[in-house]
Amino acid sequence: MVVRIALGLTLAASAAFAQIPDRPEKLRFEPITFQTPRVKDYQAKLKNGIPVFVASTGKEGTPLVRVTASWRGGAYLDPKGKEGLAALAGSQMTQGGTATLDAAALEDRLEALAATLTSACGDTNCTLSLQVLEKDLNDGLDLFVQVLTEPAFAQDRLDLAKRLASQRISRRNDDVTSIAGYQLGYLLFGDGFFASAGDTKASIDAITRDDLKAFHARMLHPGNLVVSAAGRLDRKVLLDTLDRKLGTLAPRADAQVSPKVPAPDFPRKPGIYVTDKDAPQAMVRWALPGMRRTDPDWHAAFVLNQVLGGSGFTSRLMKKIRSDEGLTYGVYSTLEPGPYWRGDMTGRVQTKNRSVAYVLRLALDEMRKLREQPVTDEELRVIKDGIIEAFPSQWSSKPVIVTRFADEAREGWPPDWWANYREKVQAVTPADVQRMAQRLLDPQQLVIVAVGKASEMEPGDPDHPGALADVAPLPLVRVPLRDPLTLAPMR
Amino acid sequence: MFLKRGAVFLAWTFVAAPLAAQEVPVIERTLSNGMRLVMVERHEQPTIAFGWMARVGSANERPGMTGMAHLFEHMMFKGTKTIGTRNAVRDAELNDLQDKVQAQIREEMSILREKQRRGEIANMMDPKVRTPRLQQLIGEFDRLVQEQRALVVKDEMDKIYTQAGGTGLNASTSTDRTFYIVSLPSNKLELWCWIESDRLANPVFREFYSERDVILEERRQTLESRPDGVVSEAFNALTWMASPYHWEVIGWPSDISQVTREQASEFFATYYAPNNITAILVGDFDPEKAYALAEKYFGRIPANPKGVPDVITMEPPQPAEQRMMAEVETQPSLQVDFKTVPMVHKDAPALQALAGILGGAQMFMGRPGGPGGMRPPTGRLQKSLVLDQKIATSAMAFSRGMKLGGLFTLRVTPVPGRNPADLESKLYAEIEKVAREGVTDEELQRFKNASQVGLYGRLETNTGIRETLAQFLTVGTVEDFGNIQNAIQSLTTDEVKRVAAQYLVKDSRNVLVTTRRASASTAPDDPELAAMPEMMRDRVRAQLEALLKLDKGQLTEQLAALEARAAQMPPQARPAFDYLLKKGRERLQKLEGK
Repeated sequence: MVVRIALGLTLAASAAFAQIPDRPEKLRFEPITFQTPRVKDYQAKLKNGIPVFVASTGKEGTPLVRVTASWRGGAYLDPKGKEGLAALAGSQMTQGGTATLDAAALEDRLEALAATLTSACGDTNCTLSLQVLEKDLNDGLDLFVQVLTEPAFAQDRLDLAKRLASQRISRRNDDVTSIAGYQLGYLLFGDGFFASAGDTKASIDAITRDDLKAFHARMLHPGNLVVSAAGRLDRKVLLDTLDRKLGTLAPRADAQVSPKVPAPDFPRKPGIYVTDKDAPQAMVRWALPGMRRTDPDWHAAFVLNQVLGGSGFTSRLMKKIRSDEGLTYGVYSTLEPGPYWRGDMTGRVQTKNRSVAYVLRLALDEMRKLREQPVTDEELRVIKDGIIEAFPSQWSSKPVIVTRFADEAREGWPPDWWANYREKVQAVTPADVQRMAQRLLDPQQLVIVAVGKASEMEPGDPDHPGALADVAPLPLVRVPLRDPLTLAPMR
Repeated sequence: MFLKRGAVFLAWTFVAAPLAAQEVPVIERTLSNGMRLVMVERHEQPTIAFGWMARVGSANERPGMTGMAHLFEHMMFKGTKTIGTRNAVRDAELNDLQDKVQAQIREEMSILREKQRRGEIANMMDPKVRTPRLQQLIGEFDRLVQEQRALVVKDEMDKIYTQAGGTGLNASTSTDRTFYIVSLPSNKLELWCWIESDRLANPVFREFYSERDVILEERRQTLESRPDGVVSEAFNALTWMASPYHWEVIGWPSDISQVTREQASEFFATYYAPNNITAILVGDFDPEKAYALAEKYFGRIPANPKGVPDVITMEPPQPAEQRMMAEVETQPSLQVDFKTVPMVHKDAPALQALAGILGGAQMFMGRPGGPGGMRPPTGRLQKSLVLDQKIATSAMAFSRGMKLGGLFTLRVTPVPGRNPADLESKLYAEIEKVAREGVTDEELQRFKNASQVGLYGRLETNTGIRETLAQFLTVGTVEDFGNIQNAIQSLTTDEVKRVAAQYLVKDSRNVLVTTRRASASTAPDDPELAAMPEMMRDRVRAQLEALLKLDKGQLTEQLAALEARAAQMPPQARPAFDYLLKKGRERLQKLEGK
């Protein structure tokens, strides 16, 4: 590390010494122009048709190169009774060695290069990522390709991973956050859908090394893959190297293009669902039907969410429930992007057990106000300016840009989606926001989960009288914990 | 079991070569009032990552006001004489009135504290034990809060930054510093100077008392709700006996709920003077212009000529091994902490290397893209305990240097069904091996490279550079940033061997053995319980839960009482009664170690 300390800067005597204005609004700022990054400036194709997004980090970059391959596939492909297969296959790609290097030898080689190789499968996609010094890019990519195409899934490492999975499963009921997560999943998607179905002791026990091999083999098709890379190297050099190493990949006999991600088909029952758990603080989550990001009203809905609870202390929920009432450390709402089906508009808050009913009343009241009254021009301007002014920070580095474009390509987004994003946000009016509130913030559609001490949550707080059952005209339903090992309801 | 072909590869060690340092052009200036400015120019994106730190944390507190540094961090978002109110004059009057009512509330709390001391009430914070006068004062106070709320421009600073395109507006408090951060478009340099110098020059701690409730919720969320939260707090308090690291940054609940605005003002005057503050700017700006603007805005704040008092209390040498045996509703584990040295101490780099070699050098390298993924088991502990002996599923080592001291931590998770205490001797065997035989040149070189690569990774973004500089400026100087990297790169294997023998010794151990608490709510129903009628099952489950929480003496008494009542049990209650008795006896046997 070399630190250069520049001394002897002279004071810039200039307009900077004019008087300090009494309000920050009186400051004037030079405009800055920011060109939205365009997909076509980063996108290329390898010889075999794999889309690739590449950027040079330039002279301010470090000597690290990052390469990520991702593909559609994941828990949505887990067979019934083998839930957890995708997650295990994902982590074991880099943990179980390859056809020519056993696990310890692969790890030894990577450590000698000071390189890391990580892999994972989530619900709908898998990734393999390499970080390597630019001088070792060729060696690093050789290991990357070996792991991508010929992972060995060594039995002893799989056994270890299964033990770790069992330990994770046994912790499922240890805290309210984890319990609320699975309960909400079941209430939104029912049992048996991948977005709610967790792995069980039995499903993990049932997974074999052959299952991992078959799962990996079926997805390894150039038609599934998307690659992204960023480093200080010249873009063309990086691209040529990728083409040499990955452009020759061909589909094998058992490979197939991954099927579409299925949409849920479950009749939700709105209600207030309570799970009893002895804890000092309750976890509350809620969900309302949202929209696809391709919906023409997306930008108005996004602005609505920022007003309600998506923008920290500038949002109404945080102002009311944290700043005014001191009832929580944080309360948030999220408009989920829903790449494969209509997402949800969700919320979450943690508060002491007896405050749950009052906090929910306050949150529902903020939703009602948004339905009944248009936002003021001033409030809307703050939210919209914030989104627009912060837009450049969404593209904070080259690795961020190429990763985003690669993810969006895999999810099938229109490549020009960001091009006029700021203009679309700017066009949102108070009437649009109110229209979205009326469409999305329908209390009759709410699914609320509260996990905590039921005996304290249900009667409410003596300082703010009102029982949990009276928070909304919805049924109050007790839902039992699930057995952590089998996920069967416990009574 | 390795494949035959793999065995050939294993015999061949891959050799690591040294790496070059990453250059960071840091410009450091001091304003006329002693405030320091540390700047790094980067022009790739039109944004600037800003931060300023007051060199004050929980280590500067004392009993009775623990959590003050962190409470202060919250108060710094409540505005100033200009920001956050519609009527500064009435706002100030209301603050005074609130202070007066709170002083009376404290008198009542004092009465309750005495009652609790005498055992007349269980918990002075319980609303049910309030005196009539206290209840009336709380009502009076609430009315003052309501009146003030009408004048408050809610979270105005957040609003101004949000509208200006600010992201990541936040602050954090550690044992040794409080750090206030935000990122802004590069044309908003002067806005940052305006807002931040205003909150240092003209702060108003409004909404002070309600913010204490937010912090109690924060404490519940970040500490008490974690299954091992209060145990880890107690273990930390056991480990540090005299040092102010003894208490958590968030503070003890008793103190958080009783701290006064007067204490806060005194704290501010001492620790938030510009000569105790360093600002860090990383991104797209002209350093000359930034310096001039900083002098104009921050330079108007007077220095505190008295300076900041040193933290005097030093941790005495630990005379004997300390142990905590915890039953918690989480997975079993073993943790061993050794107190070591501050981050700028000459032995800190060798302790880092020791942690890297024991726990795996990859730990220092962060993770490239993508979610999840396990760390490869490349450290000595994982190779021995996880892969070879198969007695653990994970084994980690960390060395953490703070300003006044350090901790070297070993953490092991046993394979399911194995008692964590059984792993202790195997864990110590690995330490003794290093102390006796040292480490190899190759192991040390790999650690050095991982450390360097980890640093590259942290220096890729404006915020990463800001956080890295802040880490060093908390405990030392900009020069330490370079010096510590150089010290790491020139470490020898002898130094690593020496620190293992010197610091990781028996009397310095703090051992936490965690086993899973049997809990009726998380264990699957056992068949006997499942066979009972539902109404009875719920009651039995609750009674069992209470029974399992008892200690050995209480349980023995309870069981004796139950047995004495056996003859009077009606037949329909018999299955439940027998079941409870059986479970209680099993539990007692376990507690007696049979």
